[in-house]
Amino acid sequence: MELVTKYHGVIEYRNEDVIVFKKGLPGFKELKNYIIFPLESNDAFSILHSVEDIEVGLVLVSPFTISGDYEFKIPDTYIKELEIANSEDVLVLTTVTLNSNVENITTNLKAPIIINIKEKLGEQLILDNDKYKIKESLFKGKNN
Amino acid sequence: MLVIGRKKGESLLIGEDIEITIIKIENGSVKISISAPKEVRILRKELYKEITDENQRAMVFDSATLEKLKK
Repeated sequence: MELVTKYHGVIEYRNEDVIVFKKGLPGFKELKNYIIFPLESNDAFSILHSVEDIEVGLVLVSPFTISGDYEFKIPDTYIKELEIANSEDVLVLTTVTLNSNVENITTNLKAPIIINIKEKLGEQLILDNDKYKIKESLFKGKNN
Repeated sequence: MLVIGRKKGESLLIGEDIEITIIKIENGSVKISISAPKEVRILRKELYKEITDENQRAMVFDSATLEKLKK
Protein backbone atom coordinates (compact mmCIF):
# COMPACT_ATOMS: atom_id res chain seq x y z
CA MET A 1 0.00 0.00 0.00
CA GLU A 2 1.12 3.55 -0.52
CA LEU A 3 0.89 6.51 1.79
CA VAL A 4 1.35 9.85 0.12
CA THR A 5 2.64 12.11 2.88
CA LYS A 6 2.91 15.87 2.83
CA TYR A 7 6.49 16.15 4.10
CA HIS A 8 8.03 12.71 3.67
CA GLY A 9 7.20 11.69 0.15
CA VAL A 10 5.46 8.44 -0.74
CA ILE A 11 5.84 5.65 1.79
CA GLU A 12 5.27 2.00 0.91
CA TYR A 13 3.83 -0.16 3.66
CA ARG A 14 1.91 -3.36 4.27
CA ASN A 15 -1.31 -3.55 6.22
CA GLU A 16 0.45 -5.75 8.80
CA ASP A 17 2.81 -2.85 9.54
CA VAL A 18 0.05 -0.58 10.79
CA ILE A 19 0.26 0.17 14.50
CA VAL A 20 -3.06 0.84 16.19
CA PHE A 21 -3.29 3.55 18.81
CA LYS A 22 -6.75 2.79 20.19
CA LYS A 23 -6.79 6.09 22.05
CA GLY A 24 -5.07 8.08 19.34
CA LEU A 25 -2.44 10.50 20.67
CA PRO A 26 -2.85 13.64 22.77
CA GLY A 27 -3.60 16.28 20.14
CA PHE A 28 -4.64 13.61 17.60
CA LYS A 29 -7.30 11.64 19.40
CA GLU A 30 -9.19 10.71 16.24
CA LEU A 31 -6.13 9.32 14.43
CA LYS A 32 -5.73 5.69 15.41
CA ASN A 33 -3.65 4.08 12.67
CA TYR A 34 0.05 4.77 12.16
CA ILE A 35 3.14 3.41 10.48
CA ILE A 36 6.68 3.96 11.57
CA PHE A 37 9.71 4.36 9.34
CA PRO A 38 13.31 5.57 9.78
CA LEU A 39 14.15 9.03 8.56
CA GLU A 40 16.02 8.87 5.30
CA SER A 41 18.20 11.86 6.11
CA ASN A 42 19.23 10.52 9.53
CA ASP A 43 18.28 7.02 10.67
CA ALA A 44 18.83 7.78 14.34
CA PHE A 45 15.35 9.25 14.03
CA SER A 46 12.04 7.76 12.97
CA ILE A 47 8.70 9.11 11.90
CA LEU A 48 5.44 7.90 13.38
CA HIS A 49 3.05 8.76 10.58
CA SER A 50 -0.70 8.65 10.49
CA VAL A 51 -2.15 6.66 7.60
CA GLU A 52 -5.32 8.71 8.02
CA ASP A 53 -3.85 12.21 7.73
CA ILE A 54 -1.15 13.08 5.23
CA GLU A 55 0.24 15.88 7.40
CA VAL A 56 0.61 14.10 10.70
CA GLY A 57 4.08 12.63 11.13
CA LEU A 58 5.88 12.90 14.47
CA VAL A 59 9.66 12.87 14.68
CA LEU A 60 10.77 10.26 17.21
CA VAL A 61 14.01 9.11 18.72
CA SER A 62 15.04 6.28 21.00
CA PRO A 63 15.37 7.98 24.39
CA PHE A 64 17.98 5.49 25.57
CA THR A 65 20.50 6.82 23.08
CA ILE A 66 20.58 10.14 24.88
CA SER A 67 19.77 9.10 28.40
CA GLY A 68 21.41 5.85 29.44
CA ASP A 69 19.54 5.81 32.73
CA TYR A 70 16.07 6.69 31.42
CA GLU A 71 13.74 4.49 33.40
CA PHE A 72 10.05 4.27 34.22
CA LYS A 73 7.46 1.68 35.07
CA ILE A 74 4.80 0.82 32.52
CA PRO A 75 1.57 0.70 34.58
CA ASP A 76 -0.36 -2.58 34.62
CA THR A 77 -3.28 -1.01 32.79
CA TYR A 78 -0.98 -0.17 29.87
CA ILE A 79 0.51 -3.67 29.90
CA LYS A 80 -3.03 -4.98 29.59
CA GLU A 81 -4.24 -2.48 26.98
CA LEU A 82 -1.15 -3.00 24.83
CA GLU A 83 -1.34 -6.80 25.35
CA ILE A 84 2.31 -6.91 26.33
CA ALA A 85 3.40 -10.47 27.07
CA ASN A 86 7.13 -10.07 26.72
CA SER A 87 9.41 -7.12 27.46
CA GLU A 88 11.22 -7.81 24.20
CA ASP A 89 8.10 -6.81 22.30
CA VAL A 90 8.18 -3.31 23.77
CA LEU A 91 9.55 -0.36 21.81
CA VAL A 92 9.86 2.98 23.57
CA LEU A 93 10.27 6.17 21.55
CA THR A 94 10.01 9.82 22.47
CA THR A 95 8.96 12.77 20.34
CA VAL A 96 11.56 15.23 19.12
CA THR A 97 11.07 18.96 18.79
CA LEU A 98 13.53 20.20 16.20
CA ASN A 99 15.21 23.57 16.09
CA SER A 100 17.61 25.14 13.63
CA ASN A 101 19.90 25.64 16.62
CA VAL A 102 21.01 22.09 17.45
CA GLU A 103 21.42 22.89 21.15
CA ASN A 104 17.73 23.70 21.35
CA ILE A 105 16.55 20.35 20.00
CA THR A 106 14.58 18.60 22.72
CA THR A 107 12.85 15.32 23.33
CA ASN A 108 9.81 14.63 25.50
CA LEU A 109 10.92 12.20 28.19
CA LYS A 110 7.80 12.91 30.19
CA ALA A 111 5.45 11.25 27.70
CA PRO A 112 7.09 8.24 26.06
CA ILE A 113 5.33 6.44 23.25
CA ILE A 114 5.03 2.77 24.08
CA ILE A 115 4.63 0.33 21.19
CA ASN A 116 4.03 -3.40 21.32
CA ILE A 117 5.79 -4.34 18.08
CA LYS A 118 4.38 -7.87 18.14
CA GLU A 119 0.71 -6.97 18.50
CA LYS A 120 1.10 -3.65 16.67
CA LEU A 121 -0.50 -1.62 19.44
CA GLY A 122 0.64 1.72 20.79
CA GLU A 123 -0.15 4.35 23.40
CA GLN A 124 1.50 7.47 24.76
CA LEU A 125 2.19 7.24 28.48
CA ILE A 126 2.30 10.45 30.51
CA LEU A 127 4.63 10.15 33.52
CA ASP A 128 3.12 12.38 36.14
CA ASN A 129 6.20 12.93 38.28
CA ASP A 130 9.03 15.44 38.41
CA LYS A 131 11.73 13.08 37.24
CA TYR A 132 11.64 13.87 33.53
CA LYS A 133 10.88 16.94 31.48
CA ILE A 134 8.74 17.54 28.44
CA LYS A 135 11.65 19.42 26.92
CA GLU A 136 14.78 17.45 27.66
CA SER A 137 17.80 18.65 25.73
CA LEU A 138 18.98 16.07 23.19
CA PHE A 139 22.52 17.35 22.92
CA LYS A 140 23.11 18.76 26.33
CA GLY A 141 26.73 19.31 27.08
CA LYS A 142 28.01 18.00 23.79
CA ASN A 143 30.36 20.50 22.26
CA ASN A 144 30.95 20.01 18.59
CA MET B 1 -21.91 20.11 30.97
CA LEU B 2 -23.02 19.97 34.60
CA VAL B 3 -22.09 22.75 37.01
CA ILE B 4 -22.56 21.85 40.63
CA GLY B 5 -21.62 23.44 43.95
CA ARG B 6 -20.02 21.39 46.70
CA LYS B 7 -18.93 22.23 50.22
CA LYS B 8 -16.00 20.75 52.03
CA GLY B 9 -16.66 17.11 52.77
CA GLU B 10 -19.29 16.70 50.07
CA SER B 11 -18.97 14.26 47.17
CA LEU B 12 -20.00 13.56 43.62
CA LEU B 13 -20.62 10.20 42.00
CA ILE B 14 -19.71 9.88 38.30
CA GLY B 15 -20.88 6.83 36.38
CA GLU B 16 -20.76 3.54 38.25
CA ASP B 17 -17.24 3.68 39.59
CA ILE B 18 -16.01 7.20 40.20
CA GLU B 19 -16.33 9.28 43.34
CA ILE B 20 -14.97 12.78 43.87
CA THR B 21 -14.81 14.33 47.33
CA ILE B 22 -13.86 17.88 48.34
CA ILE B 23 -11.34 17.41 51.14
CA LYS B 24 -10.22 20.95 51.86
CA ILE B 25 -10.87 24.46 50.63
CA GLU B 26 -8.22 26.98 51.53
CA ASN B 27 -6.49 30.03 50.04
CA GLY B 28 -8.27 29.79 46.71
CA SER B 29 -7.21 26.17 46.29
CA VAL B 30 -9.24 22.98 46.57
CA LYS B 31 -7.98 19.60 47.67
CA ILE B 32 -9.91 16.84 45.91
CA SER B 33 -9.96 13.14 46.55
CA ILE B 34 -10.74 10.91 43.56
CA SER B 35 -11.71 7.30 43.81
CA ALA B 36 -11.71 5.57 40.40
CA PRO B 37 -10.74 2.25 38.81
CA LYS B 38 -7.06 1.94 37.84
CA GLU B 39 -7.93 2.03 34.15
CA VAL B 40 -9.33 5.55 34.40
CA ARG B 41 -6.56 8.03 33.73
CA ILE B 42 -6.56 11.13 35.88
CA LEU B 43 -4.39 14.04 34.81
CA ARG B 44 -3.98 17.70 35.56
CA LYS B 45 -5.37 19.34 32.45
CA GLU B 46 -2.47 21.69 31.95
CA LEU B 47 -0.09 18.71 31.80
CA TYR B 48 -2.21 17.04 29.13
CA LYS B 49 -2.28 20.29 27.17
CA GLU B 50 1.51 20.62 27.37
CA ILE B 51 1.91 17.11 25.96
CA THR B 52 -0.59 17.89 23.21
CA ASP B 53 1.34 21.03 22.28
CA GLU B 54 4.65 19.19 22.29
CA ASN B 55 3.23 16.47 20.02
CA GLN B 56 2.19 19.21 17.61
CA ARG B 57 5.72 20.59 17.67
CA ALA B 58 7.12 17.13 16.93
CA MET B 59 5.39 17.31 13.55
CA VAL B 60 7.69 20.08 12.42
CA PHE B 61 10.14 18.47 10.09
CA ASP B 62 13.38 20.24 9.32
CA SER B 63 15.54 18.07 7.09
CA ALA B 64 18.36 20.62 6.98
CA THR B 65 18.83 20.42 10.74
CA LEU B 66 18.68 16.64 10.70
CA GLU B 67 21.37 16.47 8.03
CA LYS B 68 23.54 18.68 10.22
CA LEU B 69 23.11 16.26 13.09
CA LYS B 70 24.61 13.37 11.20
CA LYS B 71 28.11 14.66 11.82
